[in-house]
Amino acid sequence: MLLCGIFLAVTMIQGQQVFLQAVPPEDQFGDVTLNQRVTPDNGPVVFNHWLHRSKFTCRVCHVDVGFAMMANGTGISAKTNQEGFYCGACHDGKRQFGNVTMFGSCRLDGVAKTDSTCSRCHLSSKTTRKYSYKEFTAKLPKARYGVDWMAAENTGMVKPIDIVEGISIPKERIRNRTELAIRPQVEWFTGIHFSHELHSKWNSCELCHPDIFPTQKDRPASITMYQIANGRFCGACHVKVAFPVNGCNQCHANGPRWVSGPGWVM
Amino acid sequence: MRKLAIFVSVLAFLVPGRPWVAAQSQPQAPANSAEQQAFLREFNDACSQTQDAMLLTKDELKDLVRRCDALVPRLTKLDDTQRKVYKRRLEQCRGLFAYVLDTKKDSDK
Repeated sequence: MLLCGIFLAVTMIQGQQVFLQAVPPEDQFGDVTLNQRVTPDNGPVVFNHWLHRSKFTCRVCHVDVGFAMMANGTGISAKTNQEGFYCGACHDGKRQFGNVTMFGSCRLDGVAKTDSTCSRCHLSSKTTRKYSYKEFTAKLPKARYGVDWMAAENTGMVKPIDIVEGISIPKERIRNRTELAIRPQVEWFTGIHFSHELHSKWNSCELCHPDIFPTQKDRPASITMYQIANGRFCGACHVKVAFPVNGCNQCHANGPRWVSGPGWVM
Repeated sequence: MRKLAIFVSVLAFLVPGRPWVAAQSQPQAPANSAEQQAFLREFNDACSQTQDAMLLTKDELKDLVRRCDALVPRLTKLDDTQRKVYKRRLEQCRGLFAYVLDTKKDSDK
């Protein structure tokens, strides 16, 4: 009896960790705080995913530029930026996207380095963000949680750049895109239709394979919601930046088996 | 003599553009030697095929894995940051070819 009670308690706690994750406010979802070498003059860098993902595909930054998928896992420094890598790959003070010239990150030439330039990335009391989430996303289509980026791209409201000259290797889009039907581990829930086509719009194969999804023999026989909620597998993106996994029906479109049809919402 | 030194120092700071500082702040070209350029050419050629990896034969994939492995010792010729960036990119690229190769081998069993 006692053992059953302990088992139930552990299951409930685990369940809470899976389904009741605290998701930050929309304007902070996906923010990455880089706190290496913080000084009184240079506070931590708070990187907005929402702004950058409206301009570039995930692939450009996480494959071509070489940003790691973990905060503070890349080893960005003022020196690397000055050499034209990482943030400095685009923010070099010269590169243009549309009509906008990228500001130079961590420049030393005395021209760009002013308090206001540093504080565009390094948060301080002087920081005033150029872009406001609320204003920037006001006209973009909304999903259950924040902006529906896919709808925004499909309607031409955002046009993420996939190739950056001098950094990317020009490639064609993935041609052989298999769709996967993923069976649920429990009988009472319906499965997932995983679309490689949708996921490869902004990503490339090597972003997910083999680091996030290794070969069958190198990964567990099944993927659990607990693992996902802890940032593994789908959770590598969907817990942190892409839509959060708190709503079941965004992946399990048909919900539990006792409810029929895709109208199910949790 | 001392006055002359001060005058030269002041003049140097007044020269527009301060070329020595500007040169220091210019982003380094991604490849600044023949060896680096050769590395980048081979890297770009091999890793441009990641999108088509599923369409390649096992022999083609083995060859690409071999080409990636051959690039690893050449990473030492790159500058520090460039080496770090391309080490990761090369790992991702090689990893994908090996992944697809393994998947194809498994599906043959």
